[in-house]
Amino acid sequence: MLSLGVLGSAALTLALALAVYAAVAGAVGTIRRDARLQTSARLSAIAVFLAATTAIIVMQAALLTDDFTVKYVAEHSRIESPTWVKVVTLWAALEGSVLLWAWLLTAYAAVLAVTAPNTILRPWALVVMQVVAIFFLSVVTFAANPFIVLANPPLDGPGANPLLQNHWMMAVHPVLMYLGFVGLTVPFAFAMAALITRRPGTEWMRLTRRWTLLGWGFLTAAIISGGWWSYEVLGWGGYWAWDPVENVSIMPWFTATAFLHSIQVQERRRMLKAWNLLLIVLTFSLTLLGTFLIRSGVVSSVHAFGDGPVGPFFLTFFAIVSVISIGLVVWRWDQVRDRADLDAVVSREGAFIGVNVLFLAMAFAVLLGTVFPIFVEATSGARVTVGAPFFDAITLPVWMLVLLLMGVGPLLPWRRAETQTLRSNLLVMTAALVLFVVVALAFGMRRPYPLLTVGLAGWNLASVGLLLAGAIVPRARITGRSLGEVFTRYAFEQKRRVGSMVVHLGVIVIAIGIAGAGGYRVDQQLRLDYGERVAFQGYELQALRPFAEQSAGRASVGVEVAVWQGDRQVTVLTPRINRFGTNQMTVPTPSVRYTIGHDLYLALAGAVDPTQDFVIIRAVQSPLVTWIWIGGAIIALGTAYALTPGDRPLRRRVTADVPAGAEA
Amino acid sequence: MSRLRRLLPVVATVAGLTALFMFGLLRGSPDRDIPSNFLGRAVPDFDLPVLERYMAEFGPRMTLDDVRGRPLVINFWASWCGPCYEEAPHLQRAFERFGDEVLFIGIQTQDRDGRAAGRAFVDRFGLTFPNLFDADSRTSIAYGLFGVPETFFVHADGTLQHKFAGPVTTTILEEQIGALRR
Repeated sequence: MLSLGVLGSAALTLALALAVYAAVAGAVGTIRRDARLQTSARLSAIAVFLAATTAIIVMQAALLTDDFTVKYVAEHSRIESPTWVKVVTLWAALEGSVLLWAWLLTAYAAVLAVTAPNTILRPWALVVMQVVAIFFLSVVTFAANPFIVLANPPLDGPGANPLLQNHWMMAVHPVLMYLGFVGLTVPFAFAMAALITRRPGTEWMRLTRRWTLLGWGFLTAAIISGGWWSYEVLGWGGYWAWDPVENVSIMPWFTATAFLHSIQVQERRRMLKAWNLLLIVLTFSLTLLGTFLIRSGVVSSVHAFGDGPVGPFFLTFFAIVSVISIGLVVWRWDQVRDRADLDAVVSREGAFIGVNVLFLAMAFAVLLGTVFPIFVEATSGARVTVGAPFFDAITLPVWMLVLLLMGVGPLLPWRRAETQTLRSNLLVMTAALVLFVVVALAFGMRRPYPLLTVGLAGWNLASVGLLLAGAIVPRARITGRSLGEVFTRYAFEQKRRVGSMVVHLGVIVIAIGIAGAGGYRVDQQLRLDYGERVAFQGYELQALRPFAEQSAGRASVGVEVAVWQGDRQVTVLTPRINRFGTNQMTVPTPSVRYTIGHDLYLALAGAVDPTQDFVIIRAVQSPLVTWIWIGGAIIALGTAYALTPGDRPLRRRVTADVPAGAEA
Repeated sequence: MSRLRRLLPVVATVAGLTALFMFGLLRGSPDRDIPSNFLGRAVPDFDLPVLERYMAEFGPRMTLDDVRGRPLVINFWASWCGPCYEEAPHLQRAFERFGDEVLFIGIQTQDRDGRAAGRAFVDRFGLTFPNLFDADSRTSIAYGLFGVPETFFVHADGTLQHKFAGPVTTTILEEQIGALRR
């Protein structure tokens, strides 16, 4: 009988074989200049995608029909789980995640094969994409095959990891992460193609600009949604803990962010060729390294994703990719060496280089902190952990410098800044900084980092204002149109530029949220006797009654807590503890009252015992924390806006009717 | 030549990192391979209802005291656990071989699906050694279970010789039972 497991394995094997063919045919066809072979390779990229899609469909069919002869379903699904949980179970564990990753990769490769312009880079870029796809497909076929058929299938399974079933965000966060990682594979593939074909100019990055931005946008969204998930599920009232899993997601983000900025220097000034190549190589290597670190169990993490058999695979691939790609950069050194020099440090490119150094420093520090425990254990045998204080102490000052540069950079012209304009701009921004700090002091802020962050928010807001004014006021004056009209046209014509302003605005909003939530969080354990009101940070909390709920696959116990402000009952919060299926693990689920000023966050700190007349609650008040999520949404919007087609080509901007200095 | 020399630091760095992580891989995961607290000490007592199929032979309940004096293989399982289905035939075969000297006890635990699912499980594999039902999972907690399946090899005096996490195979059973008999 043809079972789903056999079908899935067959689809995977076919996808792998086709990917091998696509890579070999592509490489041979390019070397021999055989156009027919190249076309064949391109078409097979689509076939690879179709085969991988079949595997995904088969897996979904197995999950939705509770086919426990398929190992992955037997180990991670459960009949009584709701349908949405079954669907997302595809990426709730290792094998399915790698399958999803492989599938997204083949999808991107197929899209590239169809849409990438026919340049000398395309064949090699497609080959590189397929080589990466071969790696992921082999892992999912040989090392972590989810389709293995069980001779003795169980009648029901244990269900997905409770932590992942507990929040709808888990349906979104991993997919965003993989979309980000896979998106950044595209510029990597083109960078490799540029090195192979000895054309390390700007072509590869112009071709992949949108892909880079898309990958970066998804990665950013993934990290922020992961923070939100952690906030809503883990019950400690925080969103970022410098856990290894978080660290390995932020490392490629640092290098990708640096890359996003420094490619502009190469586009405009033909500088930093080697630097940009190294950055994208580093970004790609770090995603592999990160996957290795969290999937192999080498570093202990609270996220405990489990150690699968894939560790050695990812480690080997990381080593090979790093040596070959960095080796290629070194090999082509004569072509990638910069010929131009920096004209002046105080210039747009100077600022870009500065911010690059800062991001890279943070990536290095985080890597060091993450790897340090293994290093110590290898050399001395001692077990150490590197915790949040290290990462905070190292990255906070660097973040301040990043915020500082973020305000100055966009206002600086390319090549060399005119001292007069710069001075008056800096004066305005400093005034805004001082003003914001004074206001924050008046509100009672005393800690240095939050104060500085608020000040720098003012500095950056002034910078955005100056940028817009510099672009719009002179145009309005010349054309005689109203400011609003000119702004609309500007926003429509300069999508990349306006998009980047919006993203920077989102960064400021997040910084303010972190300053409030990180600096002024109040966290208390409270004993609530049923019926009695207990004061907490201007609220009164009143435990009303315990409750228990049963729904498909989930059992909850919790407490209803009335929240009073004076004589007004503002809301009833229901912190609870969930248990899923037969899993012994209980998941505390906090209940949050979101407001613009601060969040009130209640989590159960102990069991709910119906025979007791009190309950222990962890109450957290985090000021401004909502702004982190709002800022994330702003960044996503800004990125999406910069990605919308219809931006005017770069060249025309230089000759546009804008007075010098105004737009720069 | 100069190119090769430039490549050297790259290769050295990557090789260094890789070596470090190889160490991390070979060292094993510190969170998982925690030896049982009962190694060389007496395993905790239990008092559990016997699944219907075995009541005629073993009575309605069984405690550790009832079976003391013989080496034991205590296997924890659940009806929803895939690997438990994998190992059940191995356990039955080993019991048929060594059952005269070593008593096997299966304990269904962490299983809300209850006795009906348990009955289906033991019937399906025709398990002839006694199986008990740990309804509130208390025994599994007392034994410090990390997950199911886990198998405890216990000496005649009640002290633990070895705990195995994951599906047991005939080889592992032979090896451990051999050690128990010695």
